[in-house]
Amino acid sequence: MSTSAQTSSTLAGATGAWAWDFATGQVQGDARFAALMGLDVAEAAAGLAAERFFQRVLHEDRMRLRIAIAAVGHGAEVFARDFRVAAPDGVRWLSARGRAEHTPDTPIRFTGVLIDISEQKRTEERLRVAQSAGGVGTFEYVEGFGTASVSDQFCRLLGLHPADALPVRTINGLVHPHDPPLISAYTSEVDAPIEAELRIRRADTGAERWLALRGERRPSGDGVGVSFVGAIYDITAAKAAEAKLREMAATLEQRVEARTQERDRLWNNSRDLFAVLNPAGVYQAVNPAWSALLGLSEDEVVGRHFSEFVHPDDLMGAEDHWTERAVLADRDARMRSKEHGWRWFNWTVIPAGNDFYATGRDVNERKQLEDQLRQSQKMEAVGQLTGGLAHDFNNMLTGVLGGLDMVRRRIGQGRVAEAERFIDAAVSSAERAAALTHRLLAFSRRQTLDPQAVNVNQLISSMADMLRRTLGERVDLAVVLQPDLWTALIDANQLESALLNLAINARDAMPDGGKLTLETSNIHLDRPLAAGSDQLPPGDYLMVGVSDTGTGMPEHVIARAFDPFFTTKPLGQGTGLGLSMVYGFAHQSGGHVSIYSAPGLGTTVKLYLPRHLADTPAAQVSNRGEAPGGAGETVLVVEDEPAVRAVIVELLNELGYQTLEVADTDSALKILHSSRQIDLLISDVGLPGLNGRQLADVARQSRPDLPVLFITGYAAGAARRSEFLAPGMEMISKPFAVDALALKIRAMIGS
Amino acid sequence: MSGSSGFLDELEVDALTELVNIGVSRAASSLRQMVQRQVFLSVPSIEVISRRDAATLMAEREIGPLVAVRQEFTGAFAGRALLIFPEANSLALVRAVTGDELSEAEAADLEDEALAETGNVVLNNCLATMANMLQRPLEMSLPGVMRDPGPALFEIDAGEDDGVVLFLYINFAVTERDIRGYIAILMDLPSLDALKTLVGEFIQRVLGQGAAAEA
Repeated sequence: MSTSAQTSSTLAGATGAWAWDFATGQVQGDARFAALMGLDVAEAAAGLAAERFFQRVLHEDRMRLRIAIAAVGHGAEVFARDFRVAAPDGVRWLSARGRAEHTPDTPIRFTGVLIDISEQKRTEERLRVAQSAGGVGTFEYVEGFGTASVSDQFCRLLGLHPADALPVRTINGLVHPHDPPLISAYTSEVDAPIEAELRIRRADTGAERWLALRGERRPSGDGVGVSFVGAIYDITAAKAAEAKLREMAATLEQRVEARTQERDRLWNNSRDLFAVLNPAGVYQAVNPAWSALLGLSEDEVVGRHFSEFVHPDDLMGAEDHWTERAVLADRDARMRSKEHGWRWFNWTVIPAGNDFYATGRDVNERKQLEDQLRQSQKMEAVGQLTGGLAHDFNNMLTGVLGGLDMVRRRIGQGRVAEAERFIDAAVSSAERAAALTHRLLAFSRRQTLDPQAVNVNQLISSMADMLRRTLGERVDLAVVLQPDLWTALIDANQLESALLNLAINARDAMPDGGKLTLETSNIHLDRPLAAGSDQLPPGDYLMVGVSDTGTGMPEHVIARAFDPFFTTKPLGQGTGLGLSMVYGFAHQSGGHVSIYSAPGLGTTVKLYLPRHLADTPAAQVSNRGEAPGGAGETVLVVEDEPAVRAVIVELLNELGYQTLEVADTDSALKILHSSRQIDLLISDVGLPGLNGRQLADVARQSRPDLPVLFITGYAAGAARRSEFLAPGMEMISKPFAVDALALKIRAMIGS
Repeated sequence: MSGSSGFLDELEVDALTELVNIGVSRAASSLRQMVQRQVFLSVPSIEVISRRDAATLMAEREIGPLVAVRQEFTGAFAGRALLIFPEANSLALVRAVTGDELSEAEAADLEDEALAETGNVVLNNCLATMANMLQRPLEMSLPGVMRDPGPALFEIDAGEDDGVVLFLYINFAVTERDIRGYIAILMDLPSLDALKTLVGEFIQRVLGQGAAAEA
């Protein structure tokens, strides 16, 4: 780099000073002035002819410069002129600014400065392009003045004719009255950034526009006062977008509001119960339907646990459900009504967030209809039962009466030996009738059960031989028993009977032979086992399965399999009571029975029996043996049925007991209150007046150790033997074998 | 000035601008003496525009009502000189030129009179200086005060020919007083032709024959 170039670049932008002497026509300048003008420094310092100065100026600008300076010579005060001079690296733009002091006609002093504005010119050009392209307008306002210097773009943004300066009032007059003036004292701090957004009304079109302003206050160029320099740009589009967004947000709120109102209407007007519950199951909110349907106000429900309102029987499993936060659907439960007892509701409960949302539909009417339907079905069943029963009983009575008639004839004919055959036939018929009544009672669940701890595996093993005979040669019997099988609490005889029934059904389903499997296993239920309309509560059960490889059943047959008198067997081969008896037994025992079958795939019947948690049972003692005789002990017999009473008394006498017989409780009480020796009371359960159990209680008041034997056809209150009997009391069901009665009596008196 | 192209060349515009600059400098000097304060001037601006645009141009630059002192001039060229300022400044100007010796009520009473006199001094100085520079006599009318003249400021009435005018204006501001205003000179086009000739002569004169030949 050359020395002159270095000098030139060092001086770029620096200020040169000059003084003009009109009297001598000479210009004096400092070193910077000389460098900028390309003049000799010493010459400039000494003062050089004005013409030397003008010659340095490019021709295009020289005349204008001459005029401006001449004007000062003629009285103009302000001098400002930009001009170009030739420079080693091209053209240099210079700006001369000056001020003259005059006596009225002649200047006495004219001085000024000279600045290289080449860079500024280029920058200005770039800025002008940038402002125009970017839509940015700039301004500079020296505080205290009435006008501000502005760029063309500034004017265009306000809709004004382009001008270099605009009065502040003109600018601010376009600003929206509610917005800050565009040019104002935003802050008293110098160098503090100023930011504002404001609306203006364009002077040309009257359109409202949004402008953003960025600026700062800083000391003004001449060191006097403070100038506010800033830029503005149009942000109407952004504001419009913002406004639109806000409007959308606002309408969104409206929409949400509308939706909320709809939901509120639903909440308020629904005939269904709505409720929000917290995780603990406490009602947080309930809808007005609670009041309409249950007579419960919001205050009476909110804050209380749901279990206070749900029928205890219907709560089963609800707590588990709650803790698992599962969706509960289509669950019927009774709700406490304030004045009218319980009402049925079908509930759906859905966990959401922390809370639960519950809706309950009033199904009381449906439930009532269901009850009515059930009742009518029951009546229909009773009708069927009565008809079937009458038919079967007539057959059996025909056997009994016909047999007895034949016996009488043979005896009358003196052919006593031939009577034996007919007696056997009559007894057989009567026994079948007795078996039928047992089944009926089992079905009606009124059978007297004698639940005991039973080892089911042992029971099945003992039945195996009998089952094999029953099944015949074409059916294989497989027994799969779970070791360590729990003890069941059931009536062993009924289980035997049930298994036999199931085995026979299985055999009949396998006319061409097959395989019957009997299996046992322990089952623990964590949750209720839903089984049709019933539910098996959680707990321990023994499962006894009876599976065949037979023809199986279609669905509609399974649906009716437990119905009494429903049978697929040919007329006369079954009563249709087998499975319904199994069903009755299972349910009365606190268990359950279910069928799995499909045509061609065989059938599996599973019996669920309750587990007995006490000790394992003692081996069952056989009660078979010779009828033991009495030793003159006195037995009081209370029985209102003369035929039965006569048979009992006859039997007792034959066995060697003394007997006292009465037909009603009053007579019995007289004897019991007397001082007569009585060793045993035998009483019917179903008596007019006091029943047998009550009679026994009265008797025990005066004779605490008196053994009592009840005889029962069936007794509503005596369905479960153990719950009916006190110590020293026993029970025997009608009809009974004479030998069985004799054994019972002997055992009781003997002990 | 871009608006003047076609009527005056760049050099003529420069010359006319300087002519006004000289006149206004003289006027400012007299105003300075009257108010005893510094008076700032802007570089003059010259545009050849229609009267209507001139009115718009002025209206754009002010929101509130204006007060104008006007003087008609005839001679080698004819037209109207105006000293314009916001009405809100009017009293302040009066008080400034009367040296704050008047009460507000007195200032209000004397307002129009004081304004007319101020306008007379400023405009007379300006026009007289210009006439002097052009070496042509100008006849000046008596000053008149116009309040909130609107379009009448530039004689725009319904039906009147909306001719093109030469519009010169200069901002001025008085420090320490909230006073600012404009000096505007309108000239009709027939005068403009005369002015063009006069400006040419002016250039010759101020630059001297040699320098003028350069152009």
